[in-house]
This record gives sequence, C-alpha cells and structure tokens, in this order.
Amino acid sequence: MSVRRTGPRATLVRVATYGLLVSVAVVVIFPFIVALSTSTKNNDDIFSYPPTLIPREAQTVEATAVGGTGDEPLPLYEFDDSTATFALVDNNVSVAEYRPLDDLNTVIRRDVSDGEETGQTVVVDGEEEDVFVIQVDGESVEVYRSRLTSGGLFVSVDDNTDQRVELVNLAEPLKQFGPRLENFSEVVTEKELGRSLSNTVLVTIAVVAGQIITSILGGYAFARIEFRGRGQLFLLYLGSVMVPFVVLIIPLFQLMVQFGWLDNLSALIIPFVFTAYGTFLMRQFFIGIPKEIEEAARIDNASRSTILWKIMVPLARPAIATLATFGFLYAWNSFFWPLVIINSGNPDGRVLSLALSTLGGRGSTDINLVFAGAMIAMTPPILVFLFAQRYFVENSASSGLK
Amino acid sequence: MSDITVADVDADGDQHPPARQAPNDLVDLRGRLRLLALWHVAGAAASVVGILLARQTGDIELPWMPRYALQGFFSVAFVIHVAAAYGVVNRARWARPASLAVNYLLTLVGASVVLHLFNAYRAIGDLGEGLYKAFIPFLVICVGLLWVLVGKQLLADRPTAVGPNRLRQAGWILAGIASVWFVIAADPTGMISSFFDSLTRPLTIAAMLLTVGAALATGFMWSRPAARHFGSPHSTDETLAGLAFLSPNLLGFLVFFAFPLLFSLWVSFFDWDTTNTARDFIGFDNYIRALSLDLVSTDAPNAGPEVLDDGYQVLMNADWFGQHWVIGARDVEFWLSLRNITFFLVLAVPLAVLPALVLSSILASQLPGMKVFRAIYFIPSVAGVIGVSIIWGQMFDATIGWINYLLDLVGLSEPGQGQGWLTERSTALLSMVIVFGWMSFGFNTVLYLAGHQSIPKDLYEAAEIDGASTWQVFRKITVPQLRNTTFYVLVTTSILALQLFDIVWILARPEPGGPSNATETPVLALYDEAFTNNRQGYASALAWILFIIIFGFTSFQFRRQRDEAAAGGLS
Repeated sequence: MSVRRTGPRATLVRVATYGLLVSVAVVVIFPFIVALSTSTKNNDDIFSYPPTLIPREAQTVEATAVGGTGDEPLPLYEFDDSTATFALVDNNVSVAEYRPLDDLNTVIRRDVSDGEETGQTVVVDGEEEDVFVIQVDGESVEVYRSRLTSGGLFVSVDDNTDQRVELVNLAEPLKQFGPRLENFSEVVTEKELGRSLSNTVLVTIAVVAGQIITSILGGYAFARIEFRGRGQLFLLYLGSVMVPFVVLIIPLFQLMVQFGWLDNLSALIIPFVFTAYGTFLMRQFFIGIPKEIEEAARIDNASRSTILWKIMVPLARPAIATLATFGFLYAWNSFFWPLVIINSGNPDGRVLSLALSTLGGRGSTDINLVFAGAMIAMTPPILVFLFAQRYFVENSASSGLK
Repeated sequence: MSDITVADVDADGDQHPPARQAPNDLVDLRGRLRLLALWHVAGAAASVVGILLARQTGDIELPWMPRYALQGFFSVAFVIHVAAAYGVVNRARWARPASLAVNYLLTLVGASVVLHLFNAYRAIGDLGEGLYKAFIPFLVICVGLLWVLVGKQLLADRPTAVGPNRLRQAGWILAGIASVWFVIAADPTGMISSFFDSLTRPLTIAAMLLTVGAALATGFMWSRPAARHFGSPHSTDETLAGLAFLSPNLLGFLVFFAFPLLFSLWVSFFDWDTTNTARDFIGFDNYIRALSLDLVSTDAPNAGPEVLDDGYQVLMNADWFGQHWVIGARDVEFWLSLRNITFFLVLAVPLAVLPALVLSSILASQLPGMKVFRAIYFIPSVAGVIGVSIIWGQMFDATIGWINYLLDLVGLSEPGQGQGWLTERSTALLSMVIVFGWMSFGFNTVLYLAGHQSIPKDLYEAAEIDGASTWQVFRKITVPQLRNTTFYVLVTTSILALQLFDIVWILARPEPGGPSNATETPVLALYDEAFTNNRQGYASALAWILFIIIFGFTSFQFRRQRDEAAAGGLS
C-alpha cells in the first residue's frame, strides 16, 4: 500500500504501524533471546523462578578476605536480618537448632559445640528433652535442642569476627552478571555433540554438492536438449513434488536395510542428492538465458559440457545460490529421516537434530547444555539465511507461485 | 571410479554434430568395432554369470531387493548384449543406442557394485569420524576459502587492486596448508588399508574389469567416428545427449523416488512386518482396518466396547437426537489422530496465514526498514524445527516457563498455579498450534509479498483519488487481488500442517502423542505402526490414506490454477 498521506493522523498511523511490526518482531525474537540466555546460564540458575534473561553467576570473594587460607574463592550471601555480606566458609558444619524455653517458636542455630549441657531436662510436647545454655547477644539463654542438621558457617566480609551458622538454603546468594561459556564446550565434548556436528557438516556438504551437480545436469537437459520423452519426463518430475515424504519413508527404509546402509551416513546423503525441485529450479533459470549466447559458442565448436560448465553455470549463479541455500537448510535441519535410519542408539552416526532430541527436552536436568546445543544447531542455518537472503527470499516466493 | 569420469568427459566432449574430427578417423575403426562386438559377446556371457551370482544362496546371499534387481538387470543386459553384438557386426542403425544403453548402465551398476565391494558406502560413516578428528583444520580450510571468495568479490569491483589479490592468494595458501593438516589429522590409513584388502578379492577384480570395459565401450560408442559409422540421425543424438545429461538425476529419481512410491503401494496390500517372516497378501484389509467405524445406538448411557462388533474399541460416546450413541473404531489411535489433525488444521492454518496477509500488506509499502522486518519474520522457519521446539518446550514449562510468568505479570494466572501447557489434554495441542503458527507465518508473509508485486499500482492510485480509507483499500483491493496467493498459501500450509510430527515429537515428550493421545497425529501413528510395532504393511496403508487426503488439497489447487489459466489468467 503505497498510499501516503500527511498530517497528524498519518503520523499516528505510522507510529501504530511500526508499533505492530515491532511487537511482532519481539514475539519472533524473544524465544531466541531466551535460548541464548539459557544457553549461557550457570547450573544453579536454570530452574529459578521468576525466569530471568541475564545469565548470573555467584559472587565470590578470596578466602583470605575472611581470614581463610584456601585457594578456592568463597561464595557470598546475604541474610534478611542483616545488611552485611557474608562469605560461606564451610558448607558442611553440624548445626544444632535450639529453641529457647520461654519462646518455643524461635529457632536459634548454632554450631553443635556451642551449646552447654546443663544436665536438666524439660518436657516439650510430651517428649523429654535435655536443656542447654547458649549465649545470645552476650546473655545466657536456656534452650532445648529441637534438631541436628548440617549447614554452613558464614563469616562477614567486613568484620571477620561476625560469624553465624545458618542453613545454606535460607541464605540469599549474591549474584552478578556472568555468562557460562563453558556450556558450549561441555556440550560438544561431554555430550558428544561434536561428533554429531561433524556428521551434520559432512552430510550437508555432500547433499548440497550432489544436489547442485545433478540439478545442473538435469535442468540443462530439460531446458536445452530436445530429446524424445522430455515432456512426459518433465511432467513426472513436476508431479513428484506433490508426493509427501511420509509416503516414501517406509519403502526407503526397507531399501536402506537391503543396501546395508541402516545406521550409516550414506542413507542420509545418497537418496537426497537427487532433487526434482532443484532440477525444476535450474531448468527455469536456464530457459531464461538467451539462446544466442549458447549458439555463438556452438559455432566455435564448443561441446555441450563446455557450454554448460563454462557459460551457463557462471550465469546461473543466483539460481545455484538459491538451490544451495535450500539444500543446506533441508539437510541441516532434517529430523524425521535420521530418526528412522539412525536408530541403533549408536552416537557415532547421529546428526545434530537427532542428538539434540535425545539430549533432552522437558524435564532434562541440564537444560543450559541442551540450549547450548540448540544454539549450535540453529546458528549456521540462520547465518546462511541472512547471507543468502537476497536469493532465497526472492526465489522461494517466485518458484512457489509459478 | 575414475574410469567412469574419464569416459563421461570423453563422451559428451565429442558428441556434437558439427564436424570437428580429423579426416583419418576411420583408420582403425574396423578393429575397434570387431573388439566391440567381441565385448558384447563377452558381456552376454558375463551377464549369465551375473545372474547366477545374484541367484547364489549361502555365503554371499544377497537381500531380496538387490537380488531381483540384479537378476532383472542382467537378464535385460544379456538380451541387449546379444542384440548389440549382432547389430554392431551388421552395422544396424539401432546398434549404437542399444550398445550405449547397456554399456552405460553396466558402467553405473558395475561402479556401484565395486563401491559396495570396497565398502565405500559404509566408509562414509568413517569419513564422519575423520572430519570429527580434523574439525579444526576443516574450519581453517573454510576460513581460507572465505578469504578467497571475499578477495574475488573485491577484485570483481577493482580488478587491479593489490590488497584483495593478496587476500585471495593468502586464502589459497591457508586452505592448502590446512588441507595437508586435515589429511594428517583425519588419519585415513584405516580406510586405505581396508581399500587394499578388498582389492585382492577376485569378485572385486572381476567387477572392476567389467566396469572399466563397459566404460571404455561407452566412450567408444559415444565418439563421433562411431556415430558416423552407424549413421546416427540428429534426433537420436539429441535423445542420447538429453538422457546422458539427465541420467544421474533420472536414475536417482527412479531408485529413490519412483520405485519406493510404487513399492509402498504394493506393501500396503500385504501383512508385512520388518522381520520379513510374515508377508501375506491381504488385499484392502489394511485400508479397511484403518478406516472401519462402528456406530451403535444404545439406551445404556455408559455402554462400553461390549455393544460394538468384535475388534472395535470405543472412539467416542455421544448424545444425538435424544439417543445415546457409541462410536467404535478398529484403529482408535488413527481416528483420534485424524480428529486431532482436523482441530490442528482449523486453528493452525489461520494462525499461520492471517498475520502473514496483514503483515505483508504493511511490508509491501515502501516505508524504510521493511526488509529488516521481513528478514526477522523469516528466521523461525529456517532455524530448524528441533531447536525451535526445544525452546518452546522451555517457554511452555508449567513452573519456570516464560509463558506462565508473563501471564502472572498481567494477572491472568497465579504464581505457582500456572497452566501445564504441555501436560494437560486441553492445552497440549493448542500449544503446538502456537509453535506452528509462529514458525510458519514468516514464510507465508514472503509468499504474500510476491503476490503483492502483481497488484497493479493504478488500483491504489485510483483508491487514493477516491479518498478510500486504509481499511477500505485493504478490504476492497488488497484482499481480493491476493485471492490466488491466499489460496496457494492456504493449501501449502495445510499440507505442512497435515504432516505435523517433529514439533509433537519434541514438545510431547516423554510420550509423543500424549498426554493420553491428545497430540497423536497421523504421521506419528504411522511412525509407531511402522517402526515400533513393525507393521509396515499397515503403516504403508496409513501413509497412502494420508497421501490421498493431501492429494485432495493439492489437486484442488491444481484445478483452480488450470481453470484460471483457461479463463485467460486475468488476475
């Protein structure tokens, strides 16, 4: 709609238009941002609620800052009742939970050695309990011990004498921005995604190269050589585009079994280097090249293959780029066929999509690694699309509507 | 292998009618023709051996498909060899195409067999391992080639520039060094040694000799002198050339498309399981089983399968016309999947098409930035369905997912009380509708943009002069003018939606099709029957039922296009 108007109303319309476009763009982009963020999160940050977009890591302090001697940095925590920052010096101390006899609802946690036994007993809720004395703010308080558990010893960073024993999960860990890039290397090595990645690269290169060669040859034959049966064959090719792949899955599977290609990358490559769609695409392009160019070369005695590879193919670069992009996206992203063929659970034959689907989905414990894998799988096709957009968008539109 | 390529190059390098041969071509043609006739006689004998070898049982018994295929091929080859030998001796015009056909096919079949004997197909898997070991040098090669490309691009603009030329050279050097590194890192010694192991087997040597002989014979017959000797007319030459260029494509098309298509139809009439033990012809039973329904009216409101015929299970209960009905099906899962996919289609297709129609109308304007939005909208359809589904699985998570969190923020749900989008029957399929729409609308937008280009601009100009509002323009011009595009987009999107599988596979885990069949789809049912229950005959019947449904959509589109073309294509 190239209708242009001016005036305040037009401005309003334009703002609303861009507002709509931007909000749709946000809906499109947001899941990818979530993926990027999750793929760089730390293990203790992935199940937090509310969900966050900024990957965070625990803030730490050198052990020497709290009078310690270890090499490991210590994580920092905060407590509701104090403004000071504490370092967790020891996360496995025996903690005793005491309750003062005059206020049974209060819990005071102390190191188990801090309580002093008095030898007296008291009955609480029908149970006989030993009475202890502990120091609270310099005063002795009579308490009984309601529970023994394990917790952490926290030392204030500002004042090393300010120490407290608390349950670790009651303390609020201090976080700061910190993407965990090791997720990517971990998923490649530990989750064996590296092998799947190289398999996918191999399959994609082979499929794209094969499709380009067979489509150029076939497209040229359909476009320029007037052989008997060409019309009928071309109709057959056109009709084949209408057949959904599901119909071919079972017979192709049996064919692969018979060839001994089950569980092998051959089965992902060889059946897919022949493409009716690519042949069609190349034919359309070759037909559009003026015949005079070819005729001049034929007068110079050039053979058909010389004409094809030296003259037609360089002219057909946009079509080849389109074909390569389609082939790339198809081979890289294909899932159903690998799922059927690479079925023995042998990770050496897996491709990325398959590895990702087995790596985990809902309920997986290390979704940060899963998302790192997903990012690795999604980035190449997105980049290829962005680079090849010019060809891709124009041709996917025009070829579809012919 | 290399012999074939050499032969190919000879072949089409020499095949052109315009005279270019030396005058003394005929010198030793007679000797070669005699050799060729002999070759055909030998080929006929070899075909008999081939038939016997293919029939052989015991140690190297072939699976039945290649066994029948090779027997058939060698039988035909035998006949053509004999005929060609006769024709070559008698200088018959048809001898050349016959000889070429049999020799060319023999070259290809021989080469495939040799590759198989060398274990080359399985070795592709090892190639994957090699690439894994040498992935870093591989990336370096890619970088080098990228430099070359960039250098060339720059040189195209300024052919004499020094910098780009250096970049190009550096790229080649880098790629060259990295290639050596690649070979060392990939460590191909294992492959080479297994290559030499199979080289010493007599069958391999025989197959190689046969292949090379056939390739040489093809090359000779293709050559200009042979063509003149047999007096080949121009039309035959053209047909041979056409088929030669098309052959890699056509053979692949036949083996990996046409044969499987017919075979799948064939299998669908059998009780056929993967283990190949049971294979009974049962006519249309598979189709009947899949489609059988039983409708019973009953007074008992809670009637179960006992009111149905044998072999039927309850598909649904209903109260119609004041009576209680029980509908049963023999394959309940398949019928549920049809119900689900209908529901999915009705919701997902509009979600994938309507936004595309509206957005494309905006993007078609010449406002700045439209290309950026177009690119952004397109990204979900190229990112890969598995990755995308994994992301959405997380978004839909009941406790820590963003969808529930955002609903909390606007007050539509309570924290901790969030909807279990993927785990509850009522919303599981709906979630997948959302993912499908999100993935598909960008692609459809681009299809619509192409449609916009064919709308005559003067329509909009006339509307502007008449003072039409934006809504009126959209309603009265854009939508009707895009009628054809809309139709095309609806059909292609529906075909995609009917084949819903990947999204469900990821999102409905750990039980694809669940919860309790709420997301069962026809393709999922087919997959289960074929690869979990091993009933490939029955699964093939399901595939053909689905194909017929999809074909209905497609032919609808085709007929419409044809009618419009007949009406003069004024649109």
